[in-house]
Amino acid sequence: MKLSDIDVVDPRTLQDALNVLHKRSDRIKPIAGGTDAIIQLKDGLLQTRELLDISRLMELRYIRREGSTIRIGALSTYSDIIESPVIKNSCHVLFEASNTIGAIQLQNRATIGGNLANASPAGDAIPPLYALGATITVQNHMGTRHVPIEKFFLAYRKIDLRPDELIAEISFEAVEKPCDATFLKLGLREAHFISLVSIAVYVDWARHRKHLSDVRVALGAVAPTVIRAKKCEDFLRNRTLSDEVVWDAGKIAASESSTITDVRASAEYRRAVIPSLLHQAIHRLTESPRAWETP
Amino acid sequence: MKRRFSFKLNGRQVSVSAPPAHTLLEVLREKLDITGPKEDCSKGECGACTVLMNGKPVLSCLVLISQANRAEIVTSEGFMKDDLPDYVQKAFIDNGAVQCGHCIPAFIVSTEALLSRNPNPSVSEIKTALAGNLCRCTGYTSIIRAVEEAAHKKQT
Repeated sequence: MKLSDIDVVDPRTLQDALNVLHKRSDRIKPIAGGTDAIIQLKDGLLQTRELLDISRLMELRYIRREGSTIRIGALSTYSDIIESPVIKNSCHVLFEASNTIGAIQLQNRATIGGNLANASPAGDAIPPLYALGATITVQNHMGTRHVPIEKFFLAYRKIDLRPDELIAEISFEAVEKPCDATFLKLGLREAHFISLVSIAVYVDWARHRKHLSDVRVALGAVAPTVIRAKKCEDFLRNRTLSDEVVWDAGKIAASESSTITDVRASAEYRRAVIPSLLHQAIHRLTESPRAWETP
Repeated sequence: MKRRFSFKLNGRQVSVSAPPAHTLLEVLREKLDITGPKEDCSKGECGACTVLMNGKPVLSCLVLISQANRAEIVTSEGFMKDDLPDYVQKAFIDNGAVQCGHCIPAFIVSTEALLSRNPNPSVSEIKTALAGNLCRCTGYTSIIRAVEEAAHKKQT
């Protein structure tokens, strides 16, 4: 299908969009910021006769805090996220990850919902959302359903989203003292790169700053989907941190990965850097000024 | 398949007939004779097609023309003053920041966007703002110097 043969439907409201999807889900595909979808269209990887352009549905473009819950509309761009005081104050980890995604030109168009729908194992918004234990809200013309993020990603580039559904919202609990979280990614240059390996770590320092009452470790680009390194988490939970403990935990995390070799890095290299990334992330959380101080 | 789209281009209202899934870049270059933005990588890596859309830098090779309907688009051409280079363009010329020149219109757009929101950027802020623009001639040093000089001129 040539680009010149594809029609684009431009709904005015979310309900219009959902109605169109309901009637034509067999032949229409949603497009948001388009920073992945348009490349896939050009390469012939995305085949469709019609596109449903949801990029201007303001109903799905919001970032707000309700009580202790953060709610992000799926069509929020990375620039929206980076500029949001709610994100900076209540889930700094997502600010950190969003800042590393593409460059400004991409951040101005790419949406967080699009990053989820594209379902790349290297999608940089995804490890923080695993670490935050996010819930994905999807919607069709009948109503909504809520899916925990780990159930949302089914396999390589496969998500729990039916053809008549749109991703509507991402929600999670704000990160507050005594909890903290951070994100790191490794690439081939300093800016505007796709992750070789990425990591998001969420910690609960309920007892004191060297003791992990709870921890979640999410790894990107080391398996068909982003994964939680649960054996590594079990090893770290309720343990007092030392260099040795963290390196051992890193080795466990590496053993939970199923890295592959591609154009960007070898499987061995990816596996080898996981312990270093975990070590750096934990170091940042124990040393950073925003971390919780024991009174 | 063609449809009619209208948007504001460099301050002027334009209306153009095009296939809705063609890119904004293609329409600018092929139908509207706007050749500042260039098509190099076509996949969002080089930044040569950068334009402002509703005041923000975007990659025109990754925007469908139908997504630009009713928007406000500014290209490097739009910053000229009476057909002459503006202060940013002049600073690029004066600092030897233009060699082959191919990537420069997009650098101008990114620089104008930076200076409009941050009139006095640090070197690291300049690097971040230009991280999405590749230049294979200059090694960037002269470009960064040009942006610093433009910022200085803007303030005085």
